[in-house]
Amino acid sequence: MRKSLRALVPIAAAAVPFAVLAGPASADTGTSYQTTLNALNHSSGSGMATVTVHGNQADVKVSWSGLAAQFNGGDYPHVQHIHIGGQGACPTIADDKNNDGVISTTEGGPAYGGIGTTLSTKGDTSPKAGTDIKIAPAGGSTDYSRTITLSNDTMQSLQAGTGVIVVHGLDPATLSKQAQKEKSDLVPSLPLAATSPALCGALSSMPSGGVATGTGSTAGVEQLGTFALGGGLLALGGAAFATRRRVSAGR
Amino acid sequence: MRNRFAATGRRGALTLLALVAVAAGLVLVVVAVAAQQSAPRPPRAVGRIDPSPTAGAAANPRASASADPVPAVSGPTSTPLGASRPVRITIPRIGVRSPVLPIGLADDGTLAVPQPGPDLDKAAWFQNSPTPGQPGPSIIEGHVDSDQGPSVFFRLGDVRPHDTVRVLRRDGVTAVFTVDAVRDFQKRSFPTSVVYGGDLHTPQLRLITCSDFDATIRHHVGNEVVFAHLTSTHR
Repeated sequence: MRKSLRALVPIAAAAVPFAVLAGPASADTGTSYQTTLNALNHSSGSGMATVTVHGNQADVKVSWSGLAAQFNGGDYPHVQHIHIGGQGACPTIADDKNNDGVISTTEGGPAYGGIGTTLSTKGDTSPKAGTDIKIAPAGGSTDYSRTITLSNDTMQSLQAGTGVIVVHGLDPATLSKQAQKEKSDLVPSLPLAATSPALCGALSSMPSGGVATGTGSTAGVEQLGTFALGGGLLALGGAAFATRRRVSAGR
Repeated sequence: MRNRFAATGRRGALTLLALVAVAAGLVLVVVAVAAQQSAPRPPRAVGRIDPSPTAGAAANPRASASADPVPAVSGPTSTPLGASRPVRITIPRIGVRSPVLPIGLADDGTLAVPQPGPDLDKAAWFQNSPTPGQPGPSIIEGHVDSDQGPSVFFRLGDVRPHDTVRVLRRDGVTAVFTVDAVRDFQKRSFPTSVVYGGDLHTPQLRLITCSDFDATIRHHVGNEVVFAHLTSTHR
């Protein structure tokens, strides 16, 4: 109903049919989480991740591009994890405690927590594999898909909304001169750039079921109130004519 | 004599009443008939959901991906953009030009919808989905109708593959999407992972509204979803 019409016929508003919204219904079994992966430390990359949990199994998909492609003449290994037990957030430059222009993995810890699950390409997915570059996705982009067993800690963190996906590994050239000379806070034999976070995304629940984007006011017959009022007036008019005829006849 | 005058007066009043009532009644019925309108019914399925030109038919032989003879939308997928919130959506085919608001999840875990008030008839972007132009499916929804009548996505059922959808972002970049497919899903079997997930690599857009009003239970039992992918960007 258009607003002008409502103003013309206020009574019609009362008759506008309103619908009870559909209850949520999800076709997919399991709980799904999602996040966009946004750049940290000027990494210029971006991506998206989804985690679909069935029991203690999780289908994990991580897709990203735009990260450093080469490292020491080979494909750049980018270790990636589900971090847990922190604030369920990605760090900001305010977390750069030593002011070297880089949020190191340690400096990001309070925001995203520690490693809960390592999203390795094969083998170990525990926190122990967290810095194993031999089983990390390598190169400037990846489309990672793996079904893994989640630990109870990771499961609980996902449910609590504190699961965060972090992809590590920066292009050293994008770091400040000071930071380029620093060693990694995790693996002292590596430069700081190699282990610092490049992409981060806090996991949140995927919407369940469909959406309630309509009331049905334009479905079926609209303006029922107007029809009713119009019909009522026509009936009244007819009755008045009939009465008039009776009055005439009775003369 | 008095009786006759009285009768004449009553006759005159009744005539006037009858004429006024009939005239007003006719006007209202005509107004009501003129106000009848209904949202275009979306097709059950046209086009291919998977738009990736590199992962073509050979790489993705899923039968369900192809629903009808409409050829897959070709053309290169544009390079992904960084994050920047959408501020306006334009769909030339159906005359949509609307501000876009961020929106989150409702308490029941479903995607929240714009509530009655000044934002009711605006499009809404799911704030946990990628911003339009980022990799993965960016979600923008809108009401098909509200208690106020037709809403922002009233004519979404008329959108077809190859149509253009433009989204202006806060950074001043316009992300241009080309429609690949239109699907009409039942809410009770809504394929969450297909709509909110799927190809996480390609910058994509999903437009969602209500469909399939069931008059017996007086609510929509379906959701129309338009699938599009990024084809160009400009300032």
